[in-house]
Amino acid sequence: MKQKPSSDNFSHLRWNPFLSLLWREIRRYLKVVFQTVMTPLVNSALYLLIFGVSLGSSIQLQSGIPYLAFLIPGLVMMACLNNAFQNASSSIVSGKFSGDVEDWKVVPLSPSQIVWALSFGGLIRGLMVAALTFLVGQVFMKVEIGEYLGIHSPMTLLFFLMIGGLAFAKIGLIAAFYAKTFDQMSAIGAFVITPLIFLGGVFFSLENLSEFWQNVSLYNPMLYFINGVRYAVLGQTDVPLVKSIVVSCLSLVAFHAAAYYSVKNGRFQRW
Amino acid sequence: MINSSHWVQLYSVQARLKFLNLHVYTVFMLVIQDLVKKYGDFTAVDHLSIALQPGEIFGLLGPNGAGKTSTIATIVSLEEPTSGSVKVFGFEVADSPKKVKSLLGYVPQEIVNHGYFSVEEILKFHSGYFGRLNNKKQIHFLLERLGLMPHKDKKVKHLSGGMKRRLLIAKALVHKPKLLLLDEPTAGVDIELRNSLWEFVRELRDSGVTILLTTHYLEEAEALCDRVGILHQGRLQKVGPTKELIQDLTFRRVQIKTNLSAEDLKKVKGEYSLMGSTLNFKIPSEESLGALLAKTGLPLEAILDISIQEGSLEEAFLNILGRA
Ligand SMILES: Nc1ncnc2c1ncn2[C@@H]1O[C@H](COP(=O)(O)OP(=O)(O)O)[C@@H](O)[C@H]1O
Ligand SMILES: [Mg+2]
Repeated sequence: MKQKPSSDNFSHLRWNPFLSLLWREIRRYLKVVFQTVMTPLVNSALYLLIFGVSLGSSIQLQSGIPYLAFLIPGLVMMACLNNAFQNASSSIVSGKFSGDVEDWKVVPLSPSQIVWALSFGGLIRGLMVAALTFLVGQVFMKVEIGEYLGIHSPMTLLFFLMIGGLAFAKIGLIAAFYAKTFDQMSAIGAFVITPLIFLGGVFFSLENLSEFWQNVSLYNPMLYFINGVRYAVLGQTDVPLVKSIVVSCLSLVAFHAAAYYSVKNGRFQRW
Repeated sequence: MINSSHWVQLYSVQARLKFLNLHVYTVFMLVIQDLVKKYGDFTAVDHLSIALQPGEIFGLLGPNGAGKTSTIATIVSLEEPTSGSVKVFGFEVADSPKKVKSLLGYVPQEIVNHGYFSVEEILKFHSGYFGRLNNKKQIHFLLERLGLMPHKDKKVKHLSGGMKRRLLIAKALVHKPKLLLLDEPTAGVDIELRNSLWEFVRELRDSGVTILLTTHYLEEAEALCDRVGILHQGRLQKVGPTKELIQDLTFRRVQIKTNLSAEDLKKVKGEYSLMGSTLNFKIPSEESLGALLAKTGLPLEAILDISIQEGSLEEAFLNILGRA
């Protein structure tokens, strides 16, 4: 008579499938490291050049900080969020197209493992691009202002980059499971993500907006991510730090729940 | 209370039944009960029940659209059953998805393209999803056995169709599953590769893997399967050992050309159709020509020519579907 396999045969399924998928995600963008890491750097450098250097000289902030120094933390966070989002969404979209993600549903990967592997995969790419953006920003600082930009609180910086990166990878995942075509996917990027990030205060301070727009911006969760990073680097911000921490953490929880739901109930079938 | 002597008795009963070619198994590898799968109002699988015995190759045979892929999709959690139950090794798929998935190997009908990775990398990741991070031995065995070793560093898009299919099979076997599901494994595969895949599938069966395969090629079912179930419009029409099914369902066509007049032809007994002075008979495949001639009462000198055509499985298949 055959025996049922005993349950201790399944302990290798606790971490290994997650680690494997995470490693796959990282390998995936390392294979095309030039597109995935270098291309966004060019964008950041252009922003620094146009806004930080050429327009920046005519912008006066009430706080007295040079505009270039104000801009760098915003661009660092934007790079992190954008790349985390990009990574998770393009991984799933291309996987849906090739039939790859169908595998994830068939192998012993749980929905949580899928969500976390993609979140960390996106986060790590986000952190890489963020770090490089910061370095490029430092070059601009040295050339334009003559000194490097110090980091007020490195732990706070890491905290916000992590929360933001994880949250945006999860948003990318949700969007990619929801999208039914490539076009829909890029529409979500263009109509939702980019405006949210741009209007979240990458380029401007709340104090420069009229009261109406200030109030509208307060409902954009990106404002808290970006201002959290700005506080971590500059030591001052438009939004109280505690509020930034609370809102960021709550959005992460909400995005995680939605991402879990998408994976659990989403379609893995091919396009 | 059942004590050990009862078990001994049970075993010996089982052994005797086995001797009589009656297998009695206490654990089925796969039990599908009353499975219904609907897409909207359309019923793709309609109250399907089958049970797979350990170590057999079971063929789910049916034309395109019969519901074969839909059935497999519910076993591998790609689709949720509308109702009914699917158990693998005693575990209900819906209740213990991780356990069930870890016991299954699945070869999809459609080829997967995997944009970025080489053959060996794909197998490594896939093995990792099953919790096996260091699995080089099995991966290399499969690469070798399936003739993919020379191509292990190629990306999937640079493989031929046949290689892609072999990669799918290797992927399904990295974790040494107990139950292998093959959805049309040889669709679009050339004859040489097909034969070697058949050989490999038999080898797997002999090493103790239970196999469920779907196909719309009767030839494949005949060559491989210990038992087949015939599926049509989501319903199981017939199930049984392959040989018996074939015997029961195939016919020979016998054409007898005679020199008889229309008058005399009327006297010939049996069921036949007439074409001029030629009689067309359809007889069960095990019936002999002698028996047929005896039944008709045809005088030997009236027979000009006889031709026999073995009934094709295709025909048998159509017979069943026609009757359904
Ligand atoms: N996702 C789906 N949505 C709607 N109808 C489907 C879907 N998948 C399959 N079908 C339909 O269900 C029937 C059975 O399909 P399938 O299980 O693929 O058959 P087979 O594998 O035997 O060719 C077909 O009529 C097919 O069109
Ligand atoms: Mg099919």
